[in-house]
This record gives sequence, C-alpha cells and structure tokens, in this order.
Amino acid sequence: MTSTVPASGFELLERTAELDAFAAALAAVDETGRGKLALVRGEAGIGKTALVDSFTGSVHSARVLRAACEPLHTPSPLGPFLEIADAIGGELARVAAAGPQPYALTAALVRELASRPAVVLIEDIHWADEATLDVLRLLSRRLESVPALVVATYRDDELTRSHPLRALLGEFGPRALRVPVAALSPEAVAQLATESGVDPHVLYQRTNGNPFYVTEALAAGGDGVPETVRDAVLARATRLSEDARRLLDAVAVVPPHVERALLDGLVPNADAALDECTAVGMLRADAGRVGFRHELARIALEDALPPGARRTLHRAVLALLLDMPGDVDPARLAHHAEEAEDTESILRFAPEAAARAAAVGSHREAADQYALALRNGADVEPARRAGWLVLRALSCYVTDQSEETLESLRLAASIYHELGDEISEGETRERLCAYLWCPGYVEESRAAGLHAVALLEPHGPSRQLGAAYDQMAFLADQGSRPDEARLWRERLLETAIATEDLELEILSRAEGSEVAFAVALENGLIGLAGSIQQEVAGTPLWQRRYQAADASLRAGLAFHSIHGLELYRHYVLSWLALCALEQGRWDEAVDWADEVIRTPRASISPRITALTVVGVVRARRGDPDPWSPLDEAYDLAIPSGEARRIAPPSAARAEVAWLEGRDSEIAELTEAAWELAQARRDGGIMGALGVWRRRAGLPVEVVDGIDPHHALEIRGEYAAAAVRWAETGCPYEAALALVGTGEEEAQREAFDAFQRLGAAAAAERLRRSGVRGLPRGPRRTTRANPSNLTTREIEVLALLKEGLRNSEIAGRLVLSERTVHHHVSAILRKLDSGSRTEAVTRASALGIFA
Amino acid sequence: MPRYVVERTFPEGLEIPADARGAMACLGIVERNADDGVTWIRSYVTGDRSKTFCVYDAPNPEAIRRTAGRNDLPVDRITEVRVLDPYFHF
Repeated sequence: MTSTVPASGFELLERTAELDAFAAALAAVDETGRGKLALVRGEAGIGKTALVDSFTGSVHSARVLRAACEPLHTPSPLGPFLEIADAIGGELARVAAAGPQPYALTAALVRELASRPAVVLIEDIHWADEATLDVLRLLSRRLESVPALVVATYRDDELTRSHPLRALLGEFGPRALRVPVAALSPEAVAQLATESGVDPHVLYQRTNGNPFYVTEALAAGGDGVPETVRDAVLARATRLSEDARRLLDAVAVVPPHVERALLDGLVPNADAALDECTAVGMLRADAGRVGFRHELARIALEDALPPGARRTLHRAVLALLLDMPGDVDPARLAHHAEEAEDTESILRFAPEAAARAAAVGSHREAADQYALALRNGADVEPARRAGWLVLRALSCYVTDQSEETLESLRLAASIYHELGDEISEGETRERLCAYLWCPGYVEESRAAGLHAVALLEPHGPSRQLGAAYDQMAFLADQGSRPDEARLWRERLLETAIATEDLELEILSRAEGSEVAFAVALENGLIGLAGSIQQEVAGTPLWQRRYQAADASLRAGLAFHSIHGLELYRHYVLSWLALCALEQGRWDEAVDWADEVIRTPRASISPRITALTVVGVVRARRGDPDPWSPLDEAYDLAIPSGEARRIAPPSAARAEVAWLEGRDSEIAELTEAAWELAQARRDGGIMGALGVWRRRAGLPVEVVDGIDPHHALEIRGEYAAAAVRWAETGCPYEAALALVGTGEEEAQREAFDAFQRLGAAAAAERLRRSGVRGLPRGPRRTTRANPSNLTTREIEVLALLKEGLRNSEIAGRLVLSERTVHHHVSAILRKLDSGSRTEAVTRASALGIFA
Repeated sequence: MPRYVVERTFPEGLEIPADARGAMACLGIVERNADDGVTWIRSYVTGDRSKTFCVYDAPNPEAIRRTAGRNDLPVDRITEVRVLDPYFHF
C-alpha cells in the first residue's frame, strides 16, 4: 500500500494513482499548450477535497485558481467563477462585476487563461448553479486552445436522473480525464485505527472505508464505532461545552459558512466557543467566515436540530443578515426565509432572487425561486402569481424543462382568463404556442396560437400579436400548408409596419435572410439572431448544395456553441449528421448524430433526424439492430401528424426493408406518411417516399415540387438520375440509381461504389440478385504509400507542414477539431514520431510531399 | 452492454510482434477503445493470420467502427451475439 506526502504535511493514503494522473495531465497541458478537463467523482466524504488539495499543493509550474460551489437551496449565480474573477482582478474582474451572460464570462476567462499555464479547480459542481454549469460547458468546448487544466469535483451519489450535471457530464465526452475516488481498503483503515483502541474490522465494516466516516468515528473517541456517520458527528459534538454546541447549531443552519460577525448575535460567548470548535477540528475559520470542515458534518447537525429550534435559528439569522450593511444575496435571504417558514419574507426575497438569477442566466435557480414564491403565494393577488408563473415558464424553457414550462404557462393563462385580462392571456397563449411545437404537441400548439390571435387582434397591432402570426406561419409551413403560411406572413408584415417594432420587422423579412441575422445581432437580440442563423444554416442543405451547407452548418454550430444557444445547436447538430450522410461520409454522420442522441432534450425533431441517421447507416453497413433507432424515430414522429417529421424515418424504414429483401413490406411501412404527404400535396416530402414505393412496384405520380433527382427515378429514368446524383455529390443514391437501370455494367459499377462506401447490405442484395462478375469477399486495401497514410492524413500533414494549429486545419478542411486531433494522432503513430515537427521531417524524407 | 463479433481481413496477414512493441501496440488499442466504452475481450485468428474474429463489448456498432478507425483496424462485418455454453443446458 502506497501513500504520498503532500505539501500540507499530512499523509494521504492510497491516492498515488490519482495524483499521478493529475500530474501527467498537467505535464501534457504544459507541453502541448492544449487544455484538459479532469472530472473527479466520488461519494460524499470520500476525500475529494483532500485529494485535490494535495494535488494543487504540489503544483509549481502553473498558477492555481480555485473556488467551490455552495450547497444553498438556490445557489448564487456564477458563484465560483465570480470568486475566481475576483482573485485574478483585471479585465476578468471587470467583466464579472458587470453581471455577464455565461458566454461573455467564458470569453473573458479564456482570454485570461491564454497567457500562461493554470490549474482551475471548481469543487462540488453537483451544487453548481445553471450559469456556472453553462460556463463549464462553454469552457470545455474551448479548452483545446488554452493551457489550462480544469479540475471539477462532484458527488456521483447525488445525481438523480434529471440532475442537470448528468447531461453535462455526457456532453464532456471521452476527452475529459475521469478520476473516480475510491474508498479506503481494509489495510488503510487499519493503519488509521492503530493506537486508537478501535477494532479495525468493525471500523471497516461500519464505514465501508469512507474516509470521513472513519476519521469522525475515530475522533468520537471510545472503543466503539458509531452506527452511522451522523451518529459519529453527533457523538463528537456531545463532548463539547454547551456554548460550543450552540455555536455548532448556529453554524449548521447557514450553509456553507457564516460571517463571523453574525455569530455574536446568535450565541453567547461566541469567541470562546469558536476557539473550542476549531481546536477539535469541527469548525474552520478563515477570512472572517466560519464553516464546518465537511458538509456531511453540517448536515448531520442541522438534521439533528428539532424543527422548532431550527426555525428559530433561521429567523434569527435572517434578521441579522437584514441588519448587515451592504448588499446581501437575496437567494440567501430566501433560503432562510423558507426554513423559518416566514411567508412574508419568502414573498419579499424569492422573486428578487429569481430575477437576479435569470439576469445572469442561472435559469434553473430562477425557476426554483419562482416556484418557492408560488408555493407560498396562495394569498398573493392572482395577477402577481400569474406573472411569476410566466417568468418561471421562461426559465424552465431555457433549461429544457418542457413539461414544467407548459404547465406553468397553462396555469398563468387560466388565471388571466379568470381576471378577464385578454392581453396578458393572449401573450401567454402565444408563448404556449411557441413552446408546444418542439416537443411535438402540434394540435395543441395550433389551438393556442389561434386562441392568442383571437384574444389579441381586437386590441390592435402589437409585438405579441405579430409574434403569434409568426408562430402560426411557422406551424403552417411545418404542416405543409404553404397557402395558409402566406396569409399569416401578410398579417405579420402589416403588424410589423404598424408597430414599427424591430423584432417583428426582422421576423417579417424574407426567411433565412443573412441581413436579418446581422440586424438582430447588431441590436443585441442574440436569441432572435440564433433562430435566424439556424434557418440560414440549414437552407443550403435542403437545396442539396453540400459545400455551402458544410460551411454554413459549421458556422451555425460555432455561433450557437459560443452563445450557449443549446436548442438551436441541437437542431444544427442533427442537420450536420444529415449533411454528412447524404454525401456518403457515414462515420462523420454517425458522430454528429451520436452527439444529439447523447444529450436528451424535449425537442423531438433533432432526435428523430439523428436516430434516423444512425439506423440507416447501420442498415447500409449490415451492422446489428438498425430497427431500434428507426422505430424510436418513427414513434416519436407519428403523434405530431406532420408529414415533414414523419416522412424521413418512414423512407428510412422502407430502405432498410428493401436492403433486407423485404420489398413487400414497403407499402405498409410508408402508408401513413405517404397518405399525409399526398393529402397535403407536399412535393418536398413525397420524393424519397415515392422512390421507395416505386421500387416496391406501387404506382407513383410525379407532382410539382418533388426533388428533381427523385422525379427522374420515379419516372424510371435511372441512368439520368444516377448522373444527376453523382453531380450533386450523393454517391450512395447514385449507386442505387445505377442498380435501378437493370444493366449489368451499371450494376457492377454500383457494386464497386457500394464497396467503397462500405454499403455491405446493398452490395449483398446485388449479389443475391444474380449479377455476374462481382468479386467475392471484401475489398483488399491498397497500400500505395510507404507509411500507410490515408489521403486525408496526407492533406492534414501538408497543413502541419505549413505550421497550422488544429483549429486552423479544422477550418481549412471543414472538419471538427476532434477529427483533426485524431488524424494528427494517427499521423504521429504511423510515422513513429513524437511531435508534429518530427512527423513533417520524416514525411519529407519519405518523399510524401513530392 | 451488447457483445459483438467483429470479422476483420488482413490481406498481408496480421503481425503483432511478441515483444515490447507488440505489448505497446495492444495497450494503445485498449486505451483508444476505452475512450468510447469499447472493451476488447478476445480475438480468434486463422492459421494464415489473414482473418480474425474479435469479441468485443461495446455500447453500439458505431463505437466499434469509431475505435477501429482510430486503431487502423479493418472491419468486414459486425454481428451481435450472446454467449451459448455447452454446459448451460445441463
């Protein structure tokens, strides 16, 4: 059993592997200048703080910045990052003091961290507020370009399924270093127990090697081992004087620490009591604040307080905080008010705390604070309650709490209805209309929109009325009702002119306009800009202009990523998957799709698209289980009743049936979608479905608006279709069209194409159909160059020779940085080089650049 | 987590030297697999070393292909399997 002696002097048992991992990560950051994220996880009391303390104590080559998240019921927004900004000072502190949005703070932080290597430690991120999590998310996306090791610790035993940290952890992906901290071994426990008189076996059995429990149990004295951690802590407390115990109770109700000055007003003889508590190590005092050395101890003592005593203490703390000079965080006041069951104070401070949280983007916290106010607001005027409901809904929406959003809005709408406030009700129903579509409640969305229009129209032109028209136009588009959409847009334009409202004006411009985007951006309307940018990004894809689509989608992704516009980003990711799929870049398509699927969100469209991509690629390659993702996509889409959502998974299922030789099932698989598309005469949708139905021998007529590629195939002009697909840049569809010609020469050519693409299923189907002259077995990979570099890797190598960084290479070749990173790794490996310069030298020597 | 059999063809025959370099190569493969939650259980190789049947635990087929790409390994076919032991029925 090994141990390490950190700078602070006391021995840490059994943590060498973890400390080595940190050291290696920091060394890599030092050497490459590329940042890294390390995630330290473990149950409460496992010693995460001791571990990271030991690590940071040993760091000499970089500056160390640290802060911790606080276990408040509703934590202060951006807390830890504000602390760090304070410590650094300068521009970062200025930005932080201005109440920034997460992306603005991240940008300033990245600028600050670029200057020299740093270790940034954020503890207990399971308590982090939304804004802090956002900064972590945004920061992790930019770490490659900053020499910083960001270490975040969290308790994995507290992550419920819906905890926002869960989703974020999934997003960090495999590049983050994961450091699980394990319990102590029986040997280590025995070592700690020597000279204590406690039976090491019993100690290990009770504590399961949890370090905090072990140390508390040993500190409790005596020969026995307390049954629970809580008992151990309480046992320690009982050995102190009455004054000291009172002090412990007082400190226990103010998480995570209390101002020293407050203690005098809470307990008698605070000074002496504090000395006693710090002497035995139960409390820690620094910089005028007093707290427990471990949160578990605080909780044990707080829980042990009888309810009456607890309420009294909270009331006393609240009164003292209000007396304190300066600005006290309303979230703190709301917390104590809630614990004191002081309804009046709750209603005074919770809404204020909510507004402040929302202003800095801590929307989950804002939503919780509004909920707190609402829970205690039964006697508040209905109009005020409705206002809180709407604000809560907005915050819930931003944090993807879809059901809560809709529920709050519905309640608010009915309150306004009771009050006869048509305008407020209309505005609320307009928001409902907007938020009901993404999770797929199409009928209800339309009803809410119509209702909103009916309520608002009598009151004359207004922004909200215009917004309602815009929503209805969108719904009409998505429901394949272009004439209806046109009518709504006319009304939108009239309203925009009448109100001279900038947002309406932007919305009423030509769809997906670059100019509209610029105007929105100039006027600081980031959300609106994001929504326009999303449309702009997708347009080339629907037109099959793939080079432009690659560029615009990546630009869109960058924009939404930087600004934390997660909803739009999700859509763009799914379109990137589609864009890669249609060009035959299936590995890339699946990577994008995977990112969408990994992050669960209420919006169904991106998920439908991503699942369809994954299922189709699996089927095309002959990989196991294409049906699960496709069935899920289809099941998600059907309730919406929208042809645009239902058709793609339908067509995909048809393709898979065809690949598996089950042509007869295509009719049934595409029935529902086909009827919908026909009923709407939506040519844009009918193309792909029509092609498969024709292949299955069903009659299909060509209508206006069908994609010309599909039209050619439906008319049976397969040779022409093949040429056209190839020109457009869709190799798989081109090959399928060649198969459709029925000519053996063309089919052999298709076979080659299938082999190149890895389309094993289509190749197999050709074989089964009896085409002659097809080679047996998989294609032999040719080794044309001495070091086995692929074409792409040689491209990357050429740019390395020019001295470009990964991000620049990614920009040049239109790839993700992660893909470039993998190519560079492969290059270094194949050329047996330890650095980029070495690789370039070797490549030159091998004549690769000739 | 599903189990898969991955068939690979090595036209020039698979060569993994039985020394430190070979060990490093295998370790590299294992590390790169771990990034995607892929675990290499075991491989069966034909006598002439031209074909392997590799048993993997992985979350999905995409993870297998991704790690294969990073490890420069060919993938001919992926099949999901379950274990069937002769002794199970006794």
